[in-house]
Amino acid sequence: MRSLLEVSGVSVTFDGFRAINNLSFQIGEPELRAVIGPNGAGKTTFMDIVTGKTRPDEGKVLWGETSVSLLGMSEAQIARAGIGRKFQRPTVFEDQTVADNLMVALKKDRGPFQVLFFRPSPADHARVEDLAAEIGLSAHLQTQAGILSHGQKQWLEIGMLLAQEPRLLLVDEPAAGMSQPERDHTTELLKEAAKTRAVVVVEHDMDFVRKLDCKVTVLHEGSVLAEGSLDHVTSNQQVIDVYLGR
Amino acid sequence: MIALFRQNRSVPVMLAVLVIFAAFVTLLSEGAGTGALSTSLVKTLGMTTCLAIVALAMDMVWGYAGILSLGHMAFFALGGYMIGMWLMVARTEGVIAASLAQAPLPPTPQELTDAVAVQIFGVVGGNSFPWMWAFSHSLIAQLLLVVLVPGLLALVFGWLAFRSRVTGVYLSILTQAMTLALSLYLFQNDTGLRGNNGLSGLQNIPGAESVPQSLMSVWFLWASVAALALAYVFAAWVMAGKFGNVTRGIRDDEARVRFLGYPVEGYKLFVFTGTAIMAGIAGALYYPQAGIINPDEMAPIASIYLAVWVAIGGRGRLYGAVIGAVVVSLLSTWFTGGRAPDINLGFYTIQWVDWWTVLLGLGFVLVTLFAPKGLGGLIDLLARRTPQ
Repeated sequence: MRSLLEVSGVSVTFDGFRAINNLSFQIGEPELRAVIGPNGAGKTTFMDIVTGKTRPDEGKVLWGETSVSLLGMSEAQIARAGIGRKFQRPTVFEDQTVADNLMVALKKDRGPFQVLFFRPSPADHARVEDLAAEIGLSAHLQTQAGILSHGQKQWLEIGMLLAQEPRLLLVDEPAAGMSQPERDHTTELLKEAAKTRAVVVVEHDMDFVRKLDCKVTVLHEGSVLAEGSLDHVTSNQQVIDVYLGR
Repeated sequence: MIALFRQNRSVPVMLAVLVIFAAFVTLLSEGAGTGALSTSLVKTLGMTTCLAIVALAMDMVWGYAGILSLGHMAFFALGGYMIGMWLMVARTEGVIAASLAQAPLPPTPQELTDAVAVQIFGVVGGNSFPWMWAFSHSLIAQLLLVVLVPGLLALVFGWLAFRSRVTGVYLSILTQAMTLALSLYLFQNDTGLRGNNGLSGLQNIPGAESVPQSLMSVWFLWASVAALALAYVFAAWVMAGKFGNVTRGIRDDEARVRFLGYPVEGYKLFVFTGTAIMAGIAGALYYPQAGIINPDEMAPIASIYLAVWVAIGGRGRLYGAVIGAVVVSLLSTWFTGGRAPDINLGFYTIQWVDWWTVLLGLGFVLVTLFAPKGLGGLIDLLARRTPQ
């Protein structure tokens, strides 16, 4: 397995606070990875750097076979390169239907002129229906996204990411605020997605991480504290001290 | 087209209303009908129709894309200036050529041009054409400028603003600054557009001197109605498809759209520039009916009124913008035209010329509080109650 994303020696400082400190991280394709760590460990900042929202002070972020640097690309360019991001709070277009949300996300030309003259083909509609089936929202295609339940919105957002056909999926706390059956469905979705692509899940909830059954990276104070199977990292004394012990 | 009609039922309704409206006004006009409606009223209705076009543009940029531009009336007035330049030059040329034709020696083209320049620019102490009037003798060129000048200004302004990710109230303030700066600049006498005198006599259409104003006003009404119909179909078409979904997505959650890979700045620029051009065209139809344009027309308050119309009408629904512009601007004409009866309270007399803005402000607050979807929202309620 060769690496799809390679982050090396990255640091970023906000007003004197080192949010990320000489962080190095690699992920291959396909792979499912969980990133855990206490509050302020730099999990979200890490995602911000990879997706182009935050520029690091130093370090490299390389992408794909040709090791293109993601630094200096805009958020939209990075997204088009194949990195999808799910926010912590579900962000879907509440005022539009589930079908419209998915249609907007489908991997197509993104320029204003192409989009102006775009009319969906039967294949596009079929793809939207497949995606809706995958995330369990087939019955809600014509529902306004705003009236979906919290869990359904999270799935819709995951569906929108899948519609983008990304090679790397960054998912921020997908299980927050979900009931147990909803969590199980989310676990299935992520595991299924990780069969063909790289998926990084940032999560607080240890039970959820255990169900994902994958390699775990522990972040602490902006750098990697430990990496390995969940059992391996949870038996690490440092990890117990900074995170689990509390 | 048929699909659009089916998807957005307001389109066929609006087109039908417009045709009925224009036919109705024509039949009652002085120029082509019974004369029940005065020529000045027909002109007011034609001008109101043009205001509805710019309100439609405002709704696209604010109601759909979420960019609260408080500068779109600057683009409207620029469109008016561009057509006004041709109207004034061609008209003055005709008048002067006619008067010089009596002279013993026929005038040379140079003499004719100089005489026209003195006639137009004498009022600001000039006697030759400023550079920006280079194409003013050509109708085609000035019609192109109606599109190009507002379009390019919006393109450059929008590119600078959106590229720096200026959003929300900061962007609104920038657009206000733009329209104020433009207005102050044009108020100066030496800028080439006759300073605070503006351009006048625009109601006299060169080559149509024999057509009385009573008939001309009907022609312009039809032209304005046709332009509004086109603008409505265009706006509905743009917003019906995926472009509309992306645009509304930008309004509701800009970051989400960006992380889906859409170049958000490009979309904003597209909508901002496109609606500036719509505003320019509306202005080019409005000012020949108004007859006069001066820099006051692009004062910041004009663009704020525009936002008020759209808010009262209901943003994010195209008919809302049209209804808001028509209702509020007609009411405004009535109240400020001195025809509304003053109210004598004994100790104080409410004169509507002064108190209309208070009433408008009150209306704005009430609509925001109790009908956030505006007058258009009431239509939605009615449409939902009516069985299909």
